[in-house]
Amino acid sequence: MTIDPKYFELIQAEIDGEIDAAGNAELETFLAESEEGREVYEHLETLCRSLDGMPSIDPPPHLKHVLLNQAPVKAAQRPSPGLLQRLLSGPILGYVGVFAAGIALALALVDSDQASSGALDDVTGLVGTMANPEFAVPKHGTVFIDENEVAGTVTLHSTGPILIVDFDLATRQPVEIVAGYSDKTIWFNGFAQLESTGTSIVAEAGAVTLAMEGKRRYAVYLNNPRMRAATIDLRFVANGAVIHEAELEFSEPD
Amino acid sequence: MSEPDDIKLMERCGNGDRRAFEKLLARYEKPVFNAAYRMLNSPDDARDVTQTVFLKVYEHLDQYDPKYRFFSWIYRITLNESINWLKKSNRLDALDADTADTASGPEQEASNEQLSEGMQAALMTVSPDYRAVVVLKHLLGCSYREISEVLEVPEKTVKSRLYTARQLLQQTLTERGLHR
Repeated sequence: MTIDPKYFELIQAEIDGEIDAAGNAELETFLAESEEGREVYEHLETLCRSLDGMPSIDPPPHLKHVLLNQAPVKAAQRPSPGLLQRLLSGPILGYVGVFAAGIALALALVDSDQASSGALDDVTGLVGTMANPEFAVPKHGTVFIDENEVAGTVTLHSTGPILIVDFDLATRQPVEIVAGYSDKTIWFNGFAQLESTGTSIVAEAGAVTLAMEGKRRYAVYLNNPRMRAATIDLRFVANGAVIHEAELEFSEPD
Repeated sequence: MSEPDDIKLMERCGNGDRRAFEKLLARYEKPVFNAAYRMLNSPDDARDVTQTVFLKVYEHLDQYDPKYRFFSWIYRITLNESINWLKKSNRLDALDADTADTASGPEQEASNEQLSEGMQAALMTVSPDYRAVVVLKHLLGCSYREISEVLEVPEKTVKSRLYTARQLLQQTLTERGLHR
């Protein structure tokens, strides 16, 4: 026996609580007479119960602060586009432009001792790697920050000797982040930003200091030529006080 | 969904009232995150989409038309952003049943957890348009009329998409022994 399509519609409407009185009466009569109809009804009802029973997932605890921190700052800070952004209007060029601006900023602010050591010679080679912020390279760990002043994640990746510290943060006020590394063989190798240019960076021997406000995504590249195990100590400072501390570990490859 | 409250909160947000934004967040963070998660099957992607959704809400406060209900606006942004995310990551095509497979075999009695995982995997085998109606109906509890408002399609289309989506899900789940 083939069921008239209108009964499928009535069955669905009944299960979804969207059937009217006339439809309900018609469906009842149909179901009383049709075993196949009752079977279709039961199967659909079971499926819908299972779909309704899919558990609700709790968002990551830090997300609320990220959302709170990003929105008001974004709304308040809408500067007119700079010359670079106006010149580079296409999305791909825009990315490159932003990264280039980030690199330029890094070059401008980086400590002169290190700049003269030639440590930054390779930076331009890294410009393209931030075009896709989802790094397709090994991830060594993520720290979650969930403070009133700053929230988000910092993730450590590596590719060969390059350590990539990926910051995805939102702050509601100016925050300084000091990323320290005790191993003296590690040196600052570059900096790239996504979607924004509002982060400044100062690199010194053994530490990089970033200053930011609002919602920012950027990456700091460190060169670990001997690929030794390393710890990156992160210290978040707001209004002169340390508000959060965390560590990221890089283990030597087997 | 207390509409007047949402609209008042939106107005207050527009005037720079941060507490109003906090209240909207408290109300919509979880449903937005969950809708994105069910669309994308990845908590990390869902987190990023949730960020984008609230950023867009805040940035486009002035474009919100109060004659539409707030939830339909924010859910529309969520589903559109999720679909954009799938496009960007080349995951727009529904996964075939093998790719979206779960560990359960047909002979196993499905536990609730298995069923839930199986259901999510099955969801990923239907196209994003079908997935969206299922998410709106079963996860966000929207009526046909509300789904039609969110997706800006006639109610008839909503019913037909829901019907097809459920048929496809039923078929996939039956093949995996998770539905008789």
